[in-house]
Amino acid sequence: MKYLKTLLLLSVLVMMYHDVVAQNYMTRNGMIRFYSEAPLENIEAVNRQVSSVINTETGEFVFRVVMRSFNFEKALMQEHFNENYIESHKYPNASFQGRITNIDEINFSVPGEYVAQVEGELTIRDVTRSISKTGTFIVNGEEILGKSTFDIAVADYNIRIPTAVVNNIAEVVEVTVEVPLKKMN
Amino acid sequence: MKLLKIASLISLAGLLALAAVYFFVYNKPHTNFEQAKPDFKLTASEFYSAFTDTQEQAELKYNGNVVELSGKIDFIESTNSLNIAVLAFGDGLFGPEGIRCTLLDNHVEKAEMLIGSDVQIKGFCSGFSGSDVILEHCSIVN
Repeated sequence: MKYLKTLLLLSVLVMMYHDVVAQNYMTRNGMIRFYSEAPLENIEAVNRQVSSVINTETGEFVFRVVMRSFNFEKALMQEHFNENYIESHKYPNASFQGRITNIDEINFSVPGEYVAQVEGELTIRDVTRSISKTGTFIVNGEEILGKSTFDIAVADYNIRIPTAVVNNIAEVVEVTVEVPLKKMN
Repeated sequence: MKLLKIASLISLAGLLALAAVYFFVYNKPHTNFEQAKPDFKLTASEFYSAFTDTQEQAELKYNGNVVELSGKIDFIESTNSLNIAVLAFGDGLFGPEGIRCTLLDNHVEKAEMLIGSDVQIKGFCSGFSGSDVILEHCSIVN
């Protein structure tokens, strides 16, 4: 199933590529940070190896995230994240596939900051959920910085927090996305 | 009374020992990947082909392990926070595709001097992005 999804995602990427190359922007060094605030401790992890492509004509875009690339301050937290919660050996990647619904309000050829409404499907641990969030695009010549901050409930993706650590890990974590996109040649 | 004092002292010592163990486990350091012994040694070409030909098996075998590859660094891509040595094996959607090795800061200069030369590069395999294999905490071995 996981490989079928990978294939589908790659197919979408390839279709986007062939349809309108000039309108595609991409990065392989996007950043996703998550932050968990709980009574006993706060936990933060950062991944700076996120791949993303956006088609500025249609508003379609995709993300692909290698889960083991999340780096934590503490080695033990990183170990628990990969082994107990995300189970990176079973679910090595997460992805998002969606589109900007107010694409008509964004002019990617004019520098400025634009608010974007985004909806799509977020897949973590092979669980796919429809989400709808707000973000911004800062257009600067041939570079676009996409940014968004939103919350996700870990239970939505079948991540179970044992009772013993319920005061260490938040049920809802804050996710921050920053993707510096460059025009594809 | 004396017995109670001894029992209290033993309990206190036990609690302190438990607290010490918890402290050291909780604060255990990250793996020193520069010093880590590789779990696998192979050519960069074999390694990349494993992911593109048989992704599932390659992910199970290599993800989460330290690998030492022999190959050629084609170029180094620098961002605000990362220096990535790229061992390219073709062109794809994102441009050159291959193995992307995030370099430890103290290995950037050495890697830059060895662009185009045969190198042994070691790092932690995070996984496959769909187009690239991601190695992190990389060091130049030779």
